[in-house]
Amino acid sequence: MTRRPGLYVGGVTLLTLGAFPLFWMLSTALKRSDEIFATPPRLVPAHPTLENFWRLLTETNFVVFFKNSVLVSAATVALTLTVSALGAYALTRYRFCGRDTVAGLILLTYMFAPIMIIIPFYILVKQLGIVNTRLALVLSYTTFCLPFCLWLLRSFFESIPLELEEAALVDGANRRRAVWHVVLPLALPGLIAAAIFTFILAWNDFLFALVLITSDEIKTLPVGVNDLFNATIVDWGMIMAAGVMITAPAVMFFVAVQRHLVQGWGAGGVKG
Amino acid sequence: MRKQALTGWLLLAPSLLLLGGLVVFPILYNAWLSLFDKHSFLPAQAFVGLKNYRYFAGDEEFWNSVYYGTVYSGATIVLQLAVGVPAALLLNEMFRGRDFLRGVVLFPYLIPTIVAVILWKWLLNDSYGLVNHLLLAAGVVSAPVAWLGKDFIMWSLIVTSVWQFFPFVVVTYLARLQTIPPELYEAARVDGAGAWRRFVHVTLPQTRSVLFVIVLLRSIWMFTKFDTVWLMAGEGGVSRYIRTLPVYAYARSFTYLQAGMGAALAVIMFVMLIVATAAYFRVFRREEALS
Repeated sequence: MTRRPGLYVGGVTLLTLGAFPLFWMLSTALKRSDEIFATPPRLVPAHPTLENFWRLLTETNFVVFFKNSVLVSAATVALTLTVSALGAYALTRYRFCGRDTVAGLILLTYMFAPIMIIIPFYILVKQLGIVNTRLALVLSYTTFCLPFCLWLLRSFFESIPLELEEAALVDGANRRRAVWHVVLPLALPGLIAAAIFTFILAWNDFLFALVLITSDEIKTLPVGVNDLFNATIVDWGMIMAAGVMITAPAVMFFVAVQRHLVQGWGAGGVKG
Repeated sequence: MRKQALTGWLLLAPSLLLLGGLVVFPILYNAWLSLFDKHSFLPAQAFVGLKNYRYFAGDEEFWNSVYYGTVYSGATIVLQLAVGVPAALLLNEMFRGRDFLRGVVLFPYLIPTIVAVILWKWLLNDSYGLVNHLLLAAGVVSAPVAWLGKDFIMWSLIVTSVWQFFPFVVVTYLARLQTIPPELYEAARVDGAGAWRRFVHVTLPQTRSVLFVIVLLRSIWMFTKFDTVWLMAGEGGVSRYIRTLPVYAYARSFTYLQAGMGAALAVIMFVMLIVATAAYFRVFRREEALS
């Protein structure tokens, strides 16, 4: 028990490291402008105000950026889960030659960073006539999430015994119903993990949004906020308010589904 | 049997179409493009063979970007391990509030890069930043330091990146720590091994392979990191002092509009990664053979 104090010192250090910068962002966002530049700085705002948030929502395009980010991220999650679930099902339930080679090659594509193909990617998207559209973003994000999600779901599908599916088929369900009512519910933790990964990638991406999108009406949050940051003299209170507003959904989404992730593991009928 | 194969391929088709069209094809097209003198937005192009590559061999900016990229990835990987591994060891112990802390530690990794960067630019702001205020108050410095000026911008970038990415090390290392059989520790304890010796003789050997993977992945990701570096640099003159290879490649393609040059840099980046990865695997395997 002599190690306890050391543990707590370490714990507090880690807590400060992980959470303090974010706390400082929130605190700044809630301060009046005179307090933001006060010396010495106050940890907690003396006169908390939502003024910065109000200015952000009424005087800038923030709401438009936010809506675009929500649309693009949601569409990406839906498309990625559909495409990768179909693919992973094929990789685990159907036998055909070259199957494992294909799976290996898919993983290999994960090794390529977007920056290494962004130029041909841009030219291709332009040729397809979808440059400066949300569709271009959704397709890019889906493609870059696919290798990881396919492999993740493949390992989940593999752990679901074929007998469960066969039992459903014997009971008169067709294949589609068997998948929908037996396989997918059992693979739920995997689907949730894939959804978290995909959502965060789409919500946070900067490079594709920077290169593929030019008009303000379809810009997503990261590029939109960077524009605000570069626009004039930095309005720190408003920028920190924007930071809070972008961070909150990603963190909330994670916290909300993480619990299911853990429950899913515990409640899953099959141990893999 | 025939039908089974057909259905299998059919279900895989959307994945293969996307990956083939939007990853594999661009990779090949990129290699092809690097042999041309091409404007990024206009269709005009002229075949120039290896001229783009020859140009970079004598390009000071290119060698600077290799240097900055190496410093940046080297320093951030060492520091991510230095912060992440002890943090994982800590979170593997039992104490009240541990699960909460495990969640909180993930936050820097979950937030968008743009947020991490503006947040650290605010903390490191020369006139109103908290860091300068605390250093002044503690008497460490006598005048505010220009953390975002040319002398310290690389350090600021490294700090921001380590903060943003160390949670990956924590999560990955912690996952492996949890699978170490407790009997190993009990046996070491019976033999009278203290905490440090248990770490060296049980934990380290058990986690060697995960450390191998962490260093490999993080190296690849830090070496090809674009957004954190580009955002940290901003539009100003200090960007020269942290212009790593990915940022330089981007600048060639989208600032100078020389798509062929940018493509050549991407190929060079890829070759460097392949060579470094091969060397890394070789060295590691030799070490394995020795031990």
